[in-house]
Amino acid sequence: MATGETAVLARQGLPHWHFGRQTLRAMGLLAAREVRLAVRTPAYLVPNLIVPIFFYFVTLGSLEQFASQSGLANFEGFLLPMALLFAVQGGSAGLNMVTDIESGYFDKLLLTPASRIALLVGAMTADFFRIMMQALIVLFVALATGLNFETGLPGAVALILLASSFGLAYSGIGFAIALKTGNAQATQSMWFLTMPLMFMTSLFAPKEALADWLEVAATVNPMTYILDGMRALSMRGWVLEDIGPAMLAIACLGTFSMSLAFLALRGRLR
Amino acid sequence: MAAIETEKLRREFKGGIVAVDGVDLSVEEGEVFGFLGPNGAGKTTTVRMLTTLLRPTSGRARVAGFDVAREQHAVRRSIGVALQEAGLDALASGRELLELQGRLFGMSAAEAKSRAVDLLELVGLTDAADRQVKTYSGGMKRRLDLASALVHGPRILFLDEPTEGLDPASRQAVWAEVQRLNRQMGMTVFLTTHYLEEADRLAGRLAIIDHGRIVAEGTPESLKAAIGSDVVTVAVNREGLEVARSLLANTDGLRDIQADDAGLTLFVENGTQAVAQVVRLLDSAGVPVGPVAVSRPSLDEVFLKATGSRLEGAESAVGGAQNGNR
Repeated sequence: MATGETAVLARQGLPHWHFGRQTLRAMGLLAAREVRLAVRTPAYLVPNLIVPIFFYFVTLGSLEQFASQSGLANFEGFLLPMALLFAVQGGSAGLNMVTDIESGYFDKLLLTPASRIALLVGAMTADFFRIMMQALIVLFVALATGLNFETGLPGAVALILLASSFGLAYSGIGFAIALKTGNAQATQSMWFLTMPLMFMTSLFAPKEALADWLEVAATVNPMTYILDGMRALSMRGWVLEDIGPAMLAIACLGTFSMSLAFLALRGRLR
Repeated sequence: MAAIETEKLRREFKGGIVAVDGVDLSVEEGEVFGFLGPNGAGKTTTVRMLTTLLRPTSGRARVAGFDVAREQHAVRRSIGVALQEAGLDALASGRELLELQGRLFGMSAAEAKSRAVDLLELVGLTDAADRQVKTYSGGMKRRLDLASALVHGPRILFLDEPTEGLDPASRQAVWAEVQRLNRQMGMTVFLTTHYLEEADRLAGRLAIIDHGRIVAEGTPESLKAAIGSDVVTVAVNREGLEVARSLLANTDGLRDIQADDAGLTLFVENGTQAVAQVVRLLDSAGVPVGPVAVSRPSLDEVFLKATGSRLEGAESAVGGAQNGNR
């Protein structure tokens, strides 16, 4: 083995006020690594795009005429939020973290001075950008095939931010399961756990048109409010009575899921 | 100041399982310290506590002068760790992995780049630097893992079974590097291994842990000398083991006798004299006897005497013989 070490010694005893900057720096480095992983594992991303686009076109093709006869003028705008929700909650949240835990690389990261918060938030930040890219692609596909967007470019930006924020809030559950179990199958099962939540909403028809029991379920389901807020932007305009509850529902879900994720991280470090 | 110091270090897991039970250790600065023990003895749990990956249930540990429970950041900046499973990012290249590691330790991009080049050269991976880690062989991964533990120039290096699964040539390379780091750079090395020859060759001092407790500690030579007797090994089949044991309990100068799957090990004052008596006693009783050998005590016998069993898989790290010191 050759020599030639420069032995760059680590900075010892950083002042306390450096902590915040160091944490942000570590978050950036870890987020960049996650993006690199995402680019190198397209197999994780492709299904997250194919499924929503497939659902969008199949539902459009089968129900467009029926919707038109029922007086629903902008059926593309009605369906777009559904496709976006599918796109942003694909089951890959936390999977890279599970791979790191299984391979022992997560321990390697824990052995660096990077803050524990940075390990989780760095991964979530990368996930947020991945989710946003997926949502953008679905939006472009819908626009390219004739979607008439009610609130124009500002509304489209707001819609993407709303969908991505929901995706991020939702991904907290994936990270929590990943950290708690360290198991890829358990983490992927998140998709099946939340499928009922997706369908017990006004996904395919307005809430008033649902059967009584389903209407009750949809009323207590936060996903309904998120869907309604997104639909306001895509087909009705800046209806704050719909957008406000959607933001509140996302904030509540986010608080809940992030708390779970941070608790799971704490549990893993004990 | 001791590089590593523990006092009644204890770790209990859910269900009341005590993995480490009151361990007291002191490792001096610049020392290579071997930590031996069978699977499940508490080696890895001890290492995980000393490296801040696991919180002690009770007791205290200081590494590089910092408390592992209260000064974790300072401990992490002072140590390099290569765990039993080489923890690597399979999708990164060797260069990317080392650069990220350097940057997480606070280096600038240029410093991390330069350090990665040096370390890749050091561990002989320059040609593979830009290949993804998933294409590396087991030996290459180990070397990269060692390089990643050295990125920030640690004072203390923890190596958990560093040559497990390596071919003899790769083992020799790792040994040479550990010795170089210790001798040329004065790095303290805490080494867990179940290769006795590895411990004998590298460690200046060692401790044996069994069921979470330290059962022997000292230099390899002092531990062997403490046995104070010759070692006679007798291969006896399973059926004849108990009869042979009771017969040989009367051997002249016998200090201790241990049985295991391979036969009997006798610790006697004079091995040469004992061999003739052993063969005579077993032959007269009609117990079939395999090879009989006499030797000075090796670490294998030290381990056997301390724990009551031989170290599982304790073959020579180089040649695969039962024990290189015999």
